[in-house]
Amino acid sequence: MRRVAVTGIGVISPLGNDVGEFFGGLVSGRSGIGRLTGTAAGRRGAQWTTPAPTHIGGAVTFDPSRHFAAPRLRMLDRVSQFALAAADQAVRAARIAWADVDRDRIGVFLGTGMGGAETTDDGYYTLYAERSERTKPFSVLMAMTNAAASWIGIEYGLTGPNLTFSTACSSSAVAIGEAAQRIRSGEADIMLAGGSEAPLSFGTLVAWDALKTLASEDVADPSASCKPFAKDRTGLVLAEGAAILVLEEWQHALTRGAHIHAEVAGYGLYTDAVHITRPTVNGQASAMQRALSAAALQPEDIGYINAHGTATLANDVVETCAIRQVFGKDADRVPVSSTKSMHGHLLGAAGAIEFAAAVLAMERRILPPTINLRIADPECDLDYVPGQARTGVEPRAVMSNSFAFGGTNAVLIARSVERA
Amino acid sequence: MTTLQTLQDLLKANFDLEPERLNPEAKLEELDIDSLAVVEVLFVVEDQFKVTVPSEPLARQASLKTIGELVAYIDRLVAEQHPVAAGEERI
Repeated sequence: MRRVAVTGIGVISPLGNDVGEFFGGLVSGRSGIGRLTGTAAGRRGAQWTTPAPTHIGGAVTFDPSRHFAAPRLRMLDRVSQFALAAADQAVRAARIAWADVDRDRIGVFLGTGMGGAETTDDGYYTLYAERSERTKPFSVLMAMTNAAASWIGIEYGLTGPNLTFSTACSSSAVAIGEAAQRIRSGEADIMLAGGSEAPLSFGTLVAWDALKTLASEDVADPSASCKPFAKDRTGLVLAEGAAILVLEEWQHALTRGAHIHAEVAGYGLYTDAVHITRPTVNGQASAMQRALSAAALQPEDIGYINAHGTATLANDVVETCAIRQVFGKDADRVPVSSTKSMHGHLLGAAGAIEFAAAVLAMERRILPPTINLRIADPECDLDYVPGQARTGVEPRAVMSNSFAFGGTNAVLIARSVERA
Repeated sequence: MTTLQTLQDLLKANFDLEPERLNPEAKLEELDIDSLAVVEVLFVVEDQFKVTVPSEPLARQASLKTIGELVAYIDRLVAEQHPVAAGEERI
């Protein structure tokens, strides 16, 4: 059977724009969340006066002109800029020698929830606020959901399948899972898979706030506004960024002497099909169960779970119950953390960046904590690795949970190279 | 200022193209202005020359091959949409 290796990782995140900074930030318990400043988050000049959920986000520090020449940049929404920058890191890290690979057998699967949301926001501002009758010439090309994946394909001349998955907050977990399947099935040798999201524009923030799902600002410390599994949690914190992984057929990776971070061992999908936003214990548990079955692993084999852990009232209790249902007696043993407490909720990029975090945790044998968990919720009673990273662990397999509005629950499992 | 000079300034400011390269015979293709970029150029032209590029003749826009043809196209739009101003320019 063809197996799937992770041979490259690229990250653009609120904690930093490479794997070292990102994972270093996670294990030091640093928050990349804060008060939003600048044009990306404001109502274009209008000053905010009171604390509001829409003030808070996980913003990326990113200078596009350092990555792209001006003519190209004019065609790239922020979501595509992140995706291309993360892909660049990933393919460099994987040390792909382009002359030696068959690009017909390399594809791109990407997840994004909202695509070029900033371009959409800009366009509406131009039309409605500035009362113009024109939008920028490339508005369609920048806002279309598949732009980011397409640009990656164009950048490297990858003529294999190029697909964009949009299943809200599980988009990029789905992209990685589906990409792994293409390699397993023999249709591809290498897939660039992951997600990108740039939702910190005014209209998008307000729309999310309208759902009453965003965290209230922690007045004492805005960077502590996301409190997964805590009694005083108030909701999710939106964030931007991208994570792209190079997935590669095992033998293909060995033959060219690539460094293998982990094996993509299991992928489970299960759809709630009950309610557009409300999660179900059965839906989440079934996705975890299917991923375990696909990986031919038992709960006792899992050494760490990167939780979906949004810090919404509903998710964290339901996910806790789902983990208990699947893991049974192992639920009290397995460390579970929500790295969203530090990088926020990257929506369509969340699954990829959290799977990357789980893979790195396994490889480096250190588990990132859940920060801001100071007041325990009796209904959330697992080991959430509160406050501080955990060392002295040797996870042989790790799980990453991604659940979503719309009900597409996706779970990924990675296995360590030693174990593989 | 002639249409060509205005266009040269505009292409320098927006696309960083040196005016010396922008003589009437210069081919758009050789300036890396492809059919999609022509749309972008015309967007800026609309602001600068206070004209509206009609949606209809996409084929005509795509048939623009040189700076000279672009100048002629702009002149025609100006003449059609601002007949007086165009007349003054000739004096």
